[in-house]
Amino acid sequence: MQTVQLALNAMATRFEILLHGEDPVALRAAGEEALAEVKRLHQRLSFYDPSSTVSHINRMASHSPVQVPPNLFSLFELSQDIYHKTDHAFDITIGPLVKTWGFFGASGQYPTDAAQCEAMEKTGMDKVTLNDQNYTIAFERDGMAIDLGAIGKGYAIEEAARILLECGITSALIHGGTSTMAAIGVPSPEDDGWPIGVVDPQEPTRVLTSIRISNESLSVSAPHGKAFKKDGKLWGHVIDPRLGTPVQGASLSAVSHLSATVADALSTALLAMDRTEIPHIAKKFTGIRILTVYTDQDEQNSVSIGFPSIESNIHSPHENS
Amino acid sequence: MKTVSRRDFLLGTTALSGAGLVRAANIKTRAWPLSRDNVQCGIIGYGPQGREITDTLMRVPGAQVAAISDTYAPMLRRAQRDVPDATRHEDYREILDNPDIQAVIIATPTHQHRGIAIDALEAGKNVYCESPMASSIDDAKAIARAARDASSQIFQVGQMYRSNPQHRSVFQFMRSGAIGKPAMARGQWHAKDSWRRASPSAERVQELNWRLDPSVSLGLIGEAALNQMDVAYWVLGELPVSVHGFGQVMLWDDGREVPDTIQAIFEFPSGLHMMFDATLASSYEDSYEVYMGDNSTIVFRDRGKAWMFKEVDSLMLGWEVYARKDRFYKETGIALLANATQLDAQNADPTVDDPNIETPHWYALQEFMDNHAFGPYPPAANWERGLEATAIAVTANEAIIERTHKMIDPQLYTLD
Repeated sequence: MQTVQLALNAMATRFEILLHGEDPVALRAAGEEALAEVKRLHQRLSFYDPSSTVSHINRMASHSPVQVPPNLFSLFELSQDIYHKTDHAFDITIGPLVKTWGFFGASGQYPTDAAQCEAMEKTGMDKVTLNDQNYTIAFERDGMAIDLGAIGKGYAIEEAARILLECGITSALIHGGTSTMAAIGVPSPEDDGWPIGVVDPQEPTRVLTSIRISNESLSVSAPHGKAFKKDGKLWGHVIDPRLGTPVQGASLSAVSHLSATVADALSTALLAMDRTEIPHIAKKFTGIRILTVYTDQDEQNSVSIGFPSIESNIHSPHENS
Repeated sequence: MKTVSRRDFLLGTTALSGAGLVRAANIKTRAWPLSRDNVQCGIIGYGPQGREITDTLMRVPGAQVAAISDTYAPMLRRAQRDVPDATRHEDYREILDNPDIQAVIIATPTHQHRGIAIDALEAGKNVYCESPMASSIDDAKAIARAARDASSQIFQVGQMYRSNPQHRSVFQFMRSGAIGKPAMARGQWHAKDSWRRASPSAERVQELNWRLDPSVSLGLIGEAALNQMDVAYWVLGELPVSVHGFGQVMLWDDGREVPDTIQAIFEFPSGLHMMFDATLASSYEDSYEVYMGDNSTIVFRDRGKAWMFKEVDSLMLGWEVYARKDRFYKETGIALLANATQLDAQNADPTVDDPNIETPHWYALQEFMDNHAFGPYPPAANWERGLEATAIAVTANEAIIERTHKMIDPQLYTLD
């Protein structure tokens, strides 16, 4: 058994693939093709690159419907579906809000009320028309913008994993920035999955829980990272599209699902949700496993659906609520 | 399907149909394809290059990807996901037999271009043939002859920088003597990549890895660096007369014969020499070309971006005061952007055509599509350019494999 490891910088993070198999030359070739797909999607989906398809849509779609490649159109349809299923907690039209909160390539700022109101008026997947007859997308208002930051990485990983399978790969793990990953097969015949540790966002050396994934995906989101402080509160880079402000709910969410695209989108959306909403949302996604962690002062508690129980000083929702 | 060609238009031999007028009018206003009669295109070969072309072509006004062919079933499944409305074929001849298809794009392995290109021209199709046009002089001449003889059809090769507004802009700038007296030129193509392809089928693995098959591959100089070399002799205004080559397997010692690292020095009639190096072992500095003169040095990189580095004793041009400047370690580069001398380009209307927005591939395919509406006229990258590039690639690759010095016979550059 041979192991080959490859990496690529794209989508403002580091993608990595670990492959197991007999022929290292073929393993590497498959990994290269998968990473080439990630690179290609990075160029297509980038918010910053003016020649990307997303930039083209953001420039043109409020003037007239924009035709997009059918596979990208499917991603928009999926985004719309998740928007409805999450009661609008996931929304790819969040571009104006992210801009207003200054998280585009910067660490953020507190906007004026007027600026935030204006951004909210330009936000909402309900103001987007998708026409599946000719694969067009149109914005209802000027200044609307799509930002695939909460779903693009998962989509790239799902497409890359598809290429690995086409190349005949039977054992591989691909991840983007260690936060979204897809597993093919098992790392070795005696394992029942790839072991993944979910770490405490406040204490990265502490493993909250670990799960095993095989032929499925896992995505972990947390609002830390890009953030700034105001009035004693930490304002993170994940914005709640329903309120127009950075999320103040869960300090971590983890989602496991067959599709890396869905897992990525949902792990972001969960951060914007009240914990009471989660069981209701989870029912709409088959085969989903969810863990959310909430930190109030020094106390942590969690909601877990299908995830292994987490360690001692974290209480289950039943004990807390 | 017969379209109104510019020649027909000028000679008045064809009654102008209403549709023809509408199409021409719409091109001026840059209408998005919804409002246009689309040219139905067939993609032959759906590997990474065919996919990239398809993805780009779907964004080009006037084009419709109507059919895709590939000999390998998983590629056709990919095609189905990418373009569900296009028909799919294992045999490209089915595309050629479809009278609704006006144009084909050939993105197969290079050594298969000859048969397909000639068949497509004979079938009356307009042809966009990926670069390099062919993997041998014989093949290149056969394709060139067929393209020359099919003068009422479009034949464009994928030497895409010839159509790129950014390259054209810098080309004019260089031709006006901006670098002063040319001293030398240098280019590189660097990547860390095994250049291998994987498949569960052993037979398919062999087919997929044609770039590593010395009997058909033009190596790094032909399959990776050729479009950059094409820019070099285009902006220099002269074709190389000889080439000295070196090639080594430095990293991917997996039994391959095709070098993973090469150096080639091209000699031009004016006495100028250009050195080109390419490697699959290191991605350092990616790819670029540099033209050094006694007034300034111009660097092309990142798909057509260019910067000028002036000598301290060179004359002021005036406009460079306003131009954007970028720092490169201890040097300051003056950005050479198409439209950069117009200060209002900074706040351009988003709906207006901006030469910096699309990719070189897009502009090349747009030129191909516009030619359907206004042509046929010889594209900037026509069969002559394809023949020249193939002659350079074939001779340079021989020099690299034999580690020797080779003259480039001027007869290789032309037909008859």
